[in-house]
Parts: sequence; structure tokens; C-alpha cells
Amino acid sequence: MVKIKKGGTKTAEIPTSSMADIAFLLLLFFLVATVIDVDTGIGITLPEYQETPDNVVPISQDRMAALLINENGDVLLNKEIISIPQIKDKLISKIESKIDLPSNKKLVVSIKTDRKTNYNLFMQAFDQVKIAYRDVKNNLSMNMFGVEFDDLAEEQQEEIKNKVPEVISFAEPEKIK
Amino acid sequence: MKFAKKRASTKQEIPTASMPDIVFMLLLFFMVTTTLREVDVMVQFKLPEAEAIQKIENKRLISYIWIGNDGRIQLNDNLVKLEEVREIMYNKRVDLPNVIVSLRIDKNSEMGIVMDIQQELRKADARRVNYSAMLKQ
Repeated sequence: MVKIKKGGTKTAEIPTSSMADIAFLLLLFFLVATVIDVDTGIGITLPEYQETPDNVVPISQDRMAALLINENGDVLLNKEIISIPQIKDKLISKIESKIDLPSNKKLVVSIKTDRKTNYNLFMQAFDQVKIAYRDVKNNLSMNMFGVEFDDLAEEQQEEIKNKVPEVISFAEPEKIK
Repeated sequence: MKFAKKRASTKQEIPTASMPDIVFMLLLFFMVTTTLREVDVMVQFKLPEAEAIQKIENKRLISYIWIGNDGRIQLNDNLVKLEEVREIMYNKRVDLPNVIVSLRIDKNSEMGIVMDIQQELRKADARRVNYSAMLKQ
């Protein structure tokens, strides 16, 4: 009897050897198209706009830190001429002296500039204010909890934020006469 | 006597069967993290440097305003006039209530235009702003 050779059962297969190539191609596309740089900057919430600032409450002098920057780059802090890198140290002592006061007696930092002031100068000053607040918060959290502010749990951060609220205001621009 | 030549019995190949899996994983990661750049920036600007800067976590909330070194304002895809900023931003804010406005302003600008933009944003009630800055080295 003649033996009939049976063909081995063929399995249907999709050729996958090129899959890696295709995947690499896609990968390359996304690698090139990805924008890695994260957006960094100094955040702030602007005050609400009021047509006529009628309910203006005058702020007592001792809780006010008025920063004035004119077009020549001179900086005034409460009518005293200082340089930009000094702002931080001056503010830190001011903020720290008000940690235990109630919230309506905390420090208010007001930044006012001329129309012709350089934007970079303003940012440097603004940065100094932010650094001052950051340092005070870090010191306080070191004393209270023994870790840096960023490593705290949320409730603890809230607690410190209540003690050191960042009240930064940009003065209303004056009307051009 | 014949000596059998000693040969390493292991195969000298790197197994590549799992390579597609690895590549796909990488691919997925990049696909998820990519935010494709939608706009061409038409103004030239150089950001100021600062130390106490934060990252903005949610990129999809950000809306950009550029101010170039020649004082031109770009919003979205086109250059706009100062008076138009308010309406555009107001519409944006209606669509996306917690929009963050990232101000990318050239560092040699004057504060006048910055204050004008600020006032317009306040009028449009888009009050969460972020002054873009690079980390000071």
C-alpha cells in the first residue's frame, strides 16, 4: 500500500518580523514631536475688576509693604531706597513678625511700577517677594514638623498657608491725565 | 585520539522576541505624554529668569499670550490688538472656567503693556495668570 504523505497542518500566521520596525517608526515620530519643556513661571491670581474702586479700605501702615519701582530701576520699600536683592531679607523679617497675628493683620505686599519700568526688573522684584514667602514657609514647617514645606501633607500645608498667606497686590494703574 | 573541539553550548544570540513589546510600551508612553504644538509663535521674545518658579501641572488648561520684543501681542494663532484681548479671553473663560493664562513676555518689555494686558484680563475675569520665567542658573 502506498503511503499517502499527509501535509503537516499549516498554521496561519501573520508575519510579525516587521512589527518592530513599524513600532520604531511610530516611536521616532512621537519622540520628535514631543515638547518636553514644561511651562514654568510665577503664578498669581489677579484681583477682581471693579469699575469704580468705591469700597476701598485703607490699609494701616504697619501691615503694608509697598514696593515701588521706577523707570530707572530704583526700588523703594516703604519710602526707603534699597536694592533688589535686599527685598528678600527685609520682607522675611516683616512676614515672620506677623505669623501669629490674626488674618486681618497679616502683611500685604504691594508692587507698583511705572509704565516705563523694565519688565525684567519687575520680575526680579516679584521673584524676591516670592522667595521671601517660600523661605518663611520652609522655616516655619521646619520648626513645626521638621520637614520642608513641599514634603508636608495637605492639611499641614493648609495650616501653614493660613499662618503665612501670600497677599500680593499690584497697585491699580493710575489714570493718565 | 581525537579531541572534540570544545564549544560553548549556549546560543550566541540576543533574544529579540520581546523587542516589539518594549518598543510599544515606549511608544504608548510618548503618545500619552505628547501635547502636539498647535501654534506658531510669530513674535520674538526672551523670557526673564527667576528663582521661585513653579511648574504648571495641567498643560491643557493653559492659554498663552505672547508679547514680543517689538511690543506685538499674539493670542492663539494670530497677532491681536490690545482691545481684542478682552473679548477673546472672555470667550475662552466661558469655555474653560479655570483657564490659566500664561504670559510669555519679552524681558525687555515695558511694564505699561504688561499692566494693560493685566487690566484687560481682569475685565475678562480670567484672573489666574502665570508670568512665564526660566529658572535662574
